[in-house]
Amino acid sequence: MSDLTININGEHVTANVEPRLSLADFIRDHQRLTGTHLGCEHGVCGACTVLMNGEPVRSCITFAVVADGTEITTIEGFDDDEPMAQLRQAFHENHALQCGYCTPGMLVAARDIVTRLPDADEDRVRLELAGNLCRCTGYVGIVKAILSVLEQRCS
Amino acid sequence: MPDGTSEFGIGAKVLRKEDARFLNGHGRYVADIARPKMLEAAIVRSPVAHANNLKVTAPEDSKGRFFTADDLSADCVAPIHVVSKFPGHKGSDYPHLANGKLRFVGEAVAVCLAETRAAAEDMVAATGLTFDALPPAIDMIADAEPGAPKVHDDWEDNVILDSRFEENTDAFKESAVSVTRDFRMNRQAVNPLEGGAVLAEWDAREERLVVHSASQIPHILRNALCECLGLSQNQVHVIAPDVGGGFGYKCVLLPEEIYIPWVAMQVKRPVRWIQDRREHLVTAANAREHHYSVTLHADSDGNFIGIEADIHVDSGAYAVYPHSNILESTMAGRTLHGPYKMSAYKVRSRAVATNKPPIVPYRGVARPGICFAMELAVDALARELGREPCDLREQNLVPVEAMPYTTITGGEFDSGDYPEALRRARGLIDLPAIRARQEAGEDDGRQIGIGFGCYIEMTALQTSAAARAGLAAIPGYEQAQVRLMPDGGLEIGVGVQNHGQGMETTLAQVACEKFGLEIEDVAVRHGDTATSPYSTGTYASRSMVMAGGAISRTCDVLGERIRKIGAHLLQCDLSQTEISSAAVTGPSGSVPFAEISRVWYRNPEELPDSVDPGGVEAVSGFRPEPDNSPFSYATHAAVVAVDPDLGSVEILDYVISEDCGTIVNPMIVDGQIIGGALQGVGTALFEESNYDAEGQPLSSTFADYAMPGSTHLPVLRLDHLVTPSPLTEFGVKGLGEGGAIPPPAAIANAVNDALREYGVEVAETPITPRRVLTAIWKAKQSRLSSVETS
Amino acid sequence: MKPAIFEHERMSSIDDVVQALANADGEVRVLGGGQSIGPMMNLRLAQPDKVLDLSRVEGLDGISEAGDRLSIGARVTHARIEDGEVPGTTGAYMQFVASGISYRSVRNRGTIGGSVAHADPAADWPTALLALGGEVKVVGSGGEKSIPLDGFQVGPFTTGLGWDEVLIGFDLPALGPNTKWGYYKVNRKPGEFADAIGAVIIGNEARAVCGATESAPFRVFDIEEKLSGGATELSVADAREILSGHDAGFDDYELQIHAVALSRAIGRAFA
Ligand SMILES: Cc1cc2nc3c(=O)[nH]c(=O)nc-3n(C[C@H](O)[C@H](O)[C@H](O)COP(=O)(O)OP(=O)(O)OC[C@H]3O[C@@H](n4cnc5c(N)ncnc54)[C@H](O)[C@@H]3O)c2cc1C
Ligand code: FES
Ligand code: FES
Repeated sequence: MSDLTININGEHVTANVEPRLSLADFIRDHQRLTGTHLGCEHGVCGACTVLMNGEPVRSCITFAVVADGTEITTIEGFDDDEPMAQLRQAFHENHALQCGYCTPGMLVAARDIVTRLPDADEDRVRLELAGNLCRCTGYVGIVKAILSVLEQRCS
Repeated sequence: MPDGTSEFGIGAKVLRKEDARFLNGHGRYVADIARPKMLEAAIVRSPVAHANNLKVTAPEDSKGRFFTADDLSADCVAPIHVVSKFPGHKGSDYPHLANGKLRFVGEAVAVCLAETRAAAEDMVAATGLTFDALPPAIDMIADAEPGAPKVHDDWEDNVILDSRFEENTDAFKESAVSVTRDFRMNRQAVNPLEGGAVLAEWDAREERLVVHSASQIPHILRNALCECLGLSQNQVHVIAPDVGGGFGYKCVLLPEEIYIPWVAMQVKRPVRWIQDRREHLVTAANAREHHYSVTLHADSDGNFIGIEADIHVDSGAYAVYPHSNILESTMAGRTLHGPYKMSAYKVRSRAVATNKPPIVPYRGVARPGICFAMELAVDALARELGREPCDLREQNLVPVEAMPYTTITGGEFDSGDYPEALRRARGLIDLPAIRARQEAGEDDGRQIGIGFGCYIEMTALQTSAAARAGLAAIPGYEQAQVRLMPDGGLEIGVGVQNHGQGMETTLAQVACEKFGLEIEDVAVRHGDTATSPYSTGTYASRSMVMAGGAISRTCDVLGERIRKIGAHLLQCDLSQTEISSAAVTGPSGSVPFAEISRVWYRNPEELPDSVDPGGVEAVSGFRPEPDNSPFSYATHAAVVAVDPDLGSVEILDYVISEDCGTIVNPMIVDGQIIGGALQGVGTALFEESNYDAEGQPLSSTFADYAMPGSTHLPVLRLDHLVTPSPLTEFGVKGLGEGGAIPPPAAIANAVNDALREYGVEVAETPITPRRVLTAIWKAKQSRLSSVETS
Repeated sequence: MKPAIFEHERMSSIDDVVQALANADGEVRVLGGGQSIGPMMNLRLAQPDKVLDLSRVEGLDGISEAGDRLSIGARVTHARIEDGEVPGTTGAYMQFVASGISYRSVRNRGTIGGSVAHADPAADWPTALLALGGEVKVVGSGGEKSIPLDGFQVGPFTTGLGWDEVLIGFDLPALGPNTKWGYYKVNRKPGEFADAIGAVIIGNEARAVCGATESAPFRVFDIEEKLSGGATELSVADAREILSGHDAGFDDYELQIHAVALSRAIGRAFA
C-alpha cells in the first residue's frame, strides 16, 4: 500500500491505496466522483480524461500513486470555470451529446482545445478530438459546439 | 395533425431536458452506483473456441466466492432457451455458465467475487481450466455443410434455419442482363461506449431482487430472471439507469444478467459486474456477419426482373433472448429486394451456428448487409448496362403512385416518395459536377468516386411479424401512464428505455403538443419496472412510434377527464371545452391545469358527483392500425477519394436525403441520423472482429479494433422529406437505426466508381487499405493474364 | 481490466534507480510516463513485481543546445516537443513527429525516453531518432555511457539497454538550417500507432529509415546513397524495388505501404 496526497477539485485528499489502483478508480470508487468514466482502460477512448496540474491526462493509465502531490480537476470541479461554462452551454445547444457517456472526457478535452489552441479551425478541432471516442453523435454537434466556443472566446 | 404552432410540441427544436446531468458529471450509469458491502465480479472465460470435458479448478481460499455451472444446476437455475415457430428451426440451450462444453472464446465459465475488481481478476488468473479442444466451426459457408465440426452435438449440422423465399421464378427466363456477385460483410462488435453492466442485490426488506442493468429492455429482463431463477414477477425489480449507448447490444439478455443476480442471492451481498472493453470486444464480437451470392436480373431496358441469392448469416454459438438467432437470416431472406420493384424472387437464407459469440441485432439488424448486397449488385448491373447507376435506381424504385405497395414477398410499404429522396440526394451531391471532376482528374493522383445507397427500414416491428417468428417478446399495444401532478405538471411513465435518443425530451413533446404545456412541466420516467408500464423495450426504431403513440392516446383519455372537471368549474357543458396552453377553456373563460389539480388533490369537496373516479391519471395504449409497420427510407450518397498507392479511402462529401415521416424534433432526428451514419462508416471502412483459424479473436483491444473517429466523416449534409405515415399518431415513423444502414453500400459503390478504370470491385467490408490494394493488384493480374492469353 | 499486484517505489535520483535495478529480485520495471506500460499492465500483458517511478528524479527534463549537439532528457514529454521546446531544425522535425503521436492527453504524460526504451516497432521515436542519428545516454552499475542510436533497437520491444541500466536522455545532432527532412506516417486514424513510417533527413549526410516494421526500424542505405547523390525524389516502384532487397519479412501490402511512406517522406523533404 502507498500513501498519497492529492488535491481533487480544490479539496485536499489523503489516502492509502494499492499501487495498482488507477487514478480513474481512485476518483470514481474511492472519492465517489463518478462523472469521470471508463470506456476502454487502455488509453484509447478518452472517456477518463481529467486535468492533472491543468493539463488533460488519461486517468485510466495513470496510477493514483503517480498522481501524488498533483492537482486533479474532474468534470465535477469546473463550477467556476468560464471556458467550461461556455462549452456546457454550447454542447447543449448543438446536441453534442446523446448517451452522455463520453461527455465528461469530451468536455475536458474540449476545454484543452479552446484554451490551448485559440486559433483552431474545424480541421484542427477534428484532429484534436481523434483521441476521444463518441459512439453516439458522429461528432458533428461536438465539433460545432467547440467551434462556437472558440469564436465566442475570440470576440 | 400537429400544426407546428406549439413551442414545445411536435416539430419543435426543443433542447434536451436530459443534458444537464450529463454535462455536469451527474449521470448515473450502473458502474457509478455502489452499495454497502458490495462485491465485485470478474469472469473466468473460455480461452478456446471449441472444447469438451471442461473441468474447472477453483482458486485457493475461494469458497463462497467462486461459482460455476455446477452451482447453478445444483440450484436448478434454468438455462436460456429461445424458441422459434419457423419450421425446421434448431433450438439449443444457452447455458449461463459453460457446462462441460465450450463453444466460443470468451464464453463465461465461472464467477469470481472479491472486494475489488482487481482482486477478483487475481482469482480469475488463479483458476485452473482443463478441457479437450475440438476443431472449431469458424467459416459460416464451409461449416454449413455436412461433416463440419458441430457446434451442438445433438444437431444434424450447423444450419439453424434454412429459409427459402420463392415467388414467380418463371419470370427469371425473361432476363436479358444479369450480374452475379459475392458480397461479404464481416463480423464486428457493437461497442457502445459503456459496455454491459449489472449490479444486483436481494433486498430483504422489500423481499425482492433488485437488478440494475445497462439494458434497453428492463421488462424483458425481468421476464427472463423470473423464468430462469423461478421467481415471481413481483419478486424482481429491474432498473436501467442511465445507459451509455446500446445500439441493439443491450436489447438482448446477457448471461451475466442472470448469473450475477443469482450469485448475489447466494452470497447475500450486492454484486457488481462491469464488462471491460476487452470482454466486450471478445464476447460481444457479435454483429453483422453476412455472406451473399447474388444474381440480379433485368430486361434490356434495365427494368429489374428479380433477384436470386444464397445468403449465409454467421449466427454464432447460441440463440439470444428474446430475439433469437434467426432474425437476421430471415430478414435478409425476405427483404433483400430493398426499395425496388421486381416480379421474381428466389432467395435461400441460412442462419449458421459457429464457434463465435451469438449474433445480436445491431443497429439496422440485417439491413446494412442487405443494402450492401443489393446496392452493390445494382451498381454492377449499371456498369454492365453502361448506365448511370443513379438513373437505374430511379427507374426501379417503387414510385410514389404505387403507395401503399405490397412487395414481392408480401411486405407492405405504407407511404413515401422513394425516387424523390434519390433525386434530392443526387441534386445535393451534384452528380454532374462529380462526373466532370472525374474527367479532369485529381492533382494529387487520387481517384474520385461517387456512390449511392438506397434503403427502406421497417420500423416498430409489428405484432404479427414477431408472432409469426414466435419470438420470446412479442410487442403488442405499447402503454403509457400519464399523471397530472398536484401542481399541474405532468409525469409520464413509459416502458421503453432512453439511452441517448433524447426521449425524455421528445416523448415530453408529445404531451406538450396535446396539452400546450411548457417542456419543463413534463417529466418522462422510464427504465424501471416498478414505475413504468410493461413494454418489450427500446429496439427496432420503435420507441417514438409506439411510446409516443401511447402517450398521445393516453393524453386523449386523460384530457377528457381533465375537461370534465374543467367543465364543472367553468359551469359549462363538456362539449364546450377544449384544452390548450395547459388549461381547460370554455365559453366563460379558462381553468389552468394547476387549478384542476388543486381541486382533484387538495379540495376534492369541490368536485362534482359525476367526476370520473379514475382521476387525473390514466394508462392507455397504442399500436399502428392496421397492425403494420411504418417504413422509413433514405438515399445516402458519398463522394470518396481513393489513394491508389496506399489503398486508403477518404470521404470527401456525404449527403443523406431521408424520410422518417413527421419529425418530432429536428435536432434529435439529425443527431440520430448522423450518429448512425458514422457507425455505418465504421462498418464500411474500419471495424472488424477478426478470428484466426482456431477461432481466436484477433481484435480484443481498441488498438486492434479500429473505431471510426472525429476525422472520418467531416462533411455531412442532410435533407428531409416528410411523408406522414398513415399508420401512426402524428404520422411519425421510426428512425433510430436508419443512419447506419446504407453507408457501407454508398461508400463501397463510391470506391468501386473511383476504381472503375482499374476494373476493380470491392465486395467486402470493412474496405481496408489492404483489401483495396489487393483488389487492384488482382485486377491488374487478371488483365495481364487475359492480355497474355489473347 | 486491472493490473496484477506490484510494488511501487518512488525514486529520488538516478543512483537510486541504478541501485534498485542492480538489487532487483523478480521483474522490475522503470516507470516513465506510463503510457505504454500502463495499458499493458491493465491488460496484464505486463506483470512486473515492482515499478521504479522516475517522476521525482531530478535532471531528466532538460532540453539544451551546445554547438551542433542537442541534449534531451529522457523524461521530456511528447507534448513539450510538440509545443516547440526543442530549438532549430531538429526541433521543427521533432515537433512534427511529436504532434502525430497519440493524443494530447497521452502526449502530456508519455516521454521520449520511455518510447525509445519501450521499442514498440510501431512507435514513432525509434524511427524518427534513428533518422536523426545520435546517441542514447544510459546509466547503469558500470556508470554512464552512450550508445549510438544506430543499432540501439535490436528487435521488437528489445534494445541495447541492459537490465540494470536506465535511459537518461539523448545526444542528438542540431541540424543545420538547410537540412531537409521528411516524415511520413501511414495509419488509419490520427494518433494511432503506425502501419508504416518513412523518415528521411538530408543534411551533411543523408539518412533514410524504414519504420513500423515487424521488428526494429532500419536504415535503407541504397536510398541514402541516392539522396547523397542528389536525388530529390523516389518513385514508389523504385522504393519497392529497394526495400524488397531487405529481409524485413514484408508481405506485398506491407512492402507497398513502406515504399509509399519512404517515397512520400522524400517528397515532403523536397516540397
Ligand atoms: C492510445 C495511445 C496511442 C499511442 N500512440 C502512439 C503513437 O502513435 N506513436 C508512438 O510512438 N507512441 C504512441 N503511444 C505510446 C506513447 O507514446 C508512450 O508514451 C510511449 O511509447 C512510452 O513512453 P512512456 O514514458 O509513457 O513510457 P512507459 O510506459 O512508462 O514505459 C515504457 C517502457 O519503457 C521503460 N522505460 C520508461 N522510461 C525508461 C527509462 N528512462 N529508462 C529505461 N526504461 C524506461 C519502461 O520500463 C517500460 O518498459 C500511444 C499510447 C497510447 C496510450
Ligand atoms: S478509459 Fe481511459 S482512455 Fe479509455
Ligand atoms: S454521447 Fe454516447 S458516446 Fe458520446
